[in-house]
Amino acid sequence: MVHTFQVWIVTAIGHDSFVSGVMRSAWGWPIAESLHFIGLCLLIGSIGTFDLRLLGVAKRVPIASVHRFIPWGLAGFAINITTGALFVLTEPDQYIYNPSFHFKLLFLAIAGVNAGIFYLTSYRRVFAAGAALEAPRRAKVIAAISLGAWIAVIICGRMLTFYRPANCQGRQASLLLTCDPK
Amino acid sequence: MNIDPFLIWLEATPLSQWVVGSPSMFAFPGILALHAIGMGLAAGLSAALDLRILGVAPGVPLAEFRRFQPILWFGFWVNAVSGVLLLIGYPTKALTNPVFYLKLLLIAAGMVLLVRIGRQAFDQRPGAAAAAGPPARLRRLAIISLVCWTGAITAGRLLAYTYHRLTALR
Repeated sequence: MVHTFQVWIVTAIGHDSFVSGVMRSAWGWPIAESLHFIGLCLLIGSIGTFDLRLLGVAKRVPIASVHRFIPWGLAGFAINITTGALFVLTEPDQYIYNPSFHFKLLFLAIAGVNAGIFYLTSYRRVFAAGAALEAPRRAKVIAAISLGAWIAVIICGRMLTFYRPANCQGRQASLLLTCDPK
Repeated sequence: MNIDPFLIWLEATPLSQWVVGSPSMFAFPGILALHAIGMGLAAGLSAALDLRILGVAPGVPLAEFRRFQPILWFGFWVNAVSGVLLLIGYPTKALTNPVFYLKLLLIAAGMVLLVRIGRQAFDQRPGAAAAAGPPARLRRLAIISLVCWTGAITAGRLLAYTYHRLTALR
């Protein structure tokens, strides 16, 4: 079941690696967290600007021009995947058994699939030469889902601390482990 | 000056006790989450304008960034309110830490710069001047603005690690 997989991940990552050594040094964790929040701003500032444009803000600007911000959003995402991996590699049980982390991954997946759907179904229509300044309805729905999913990712990220897994004390989870079996 | 009596009084108020002590997810956790969302909107959209001035997305007329300003300011006010609530929750933790004052200073500088940048950028008409790109002094302001936001975010994160006293009451 899923919880066997969770225990396997936590064991496989282990605790004493080079990464956790750096992260546990005086400045490791605080610097990684600062970068994680800077990446968040870059991501929301760029992808959010594009989503807002699709939803009708600054309607006179061609959508393709605003799309030039997306690489900067991806840069923010790359920063956050990297720093996020550093957190998980250092304290795997604090994340793998944390329900807030499960929801964070879920909303990240929704944001990713949603972006994929945009490029598969709306990209051509929205970016065609002489395309209408008003985004098609489908693109607007995708933009709204994108904004909602990213905000949900932020909320779940902030909630991680408050859903830290306690010791299982013999309890077994039905689908996901949300307590620490060690 | 000893501000302990004030800190002790503030920490004893029902609002402070609710922020810190309520088991509700809308209390401390919810306020923190709002503070992160507001940060993303305010600092993020401000950075997007700075990046545009520095040459990203040249097809977007600078004046059009005016349209994003209400959302940016919404993020700012969300953070002003959630920030005050967090301060009421843990006044000693913030007010006895120099990093907190550095954070406030950097945010103030960031917002003053935003207004100045807006005043210069939003009045630009698409034409010869716009084609030449933003003037050097506007680009300088954009760079300083990015530095201020980066610093404010870092200082904010460091508040969790650099405080000397958590509360005055206990």
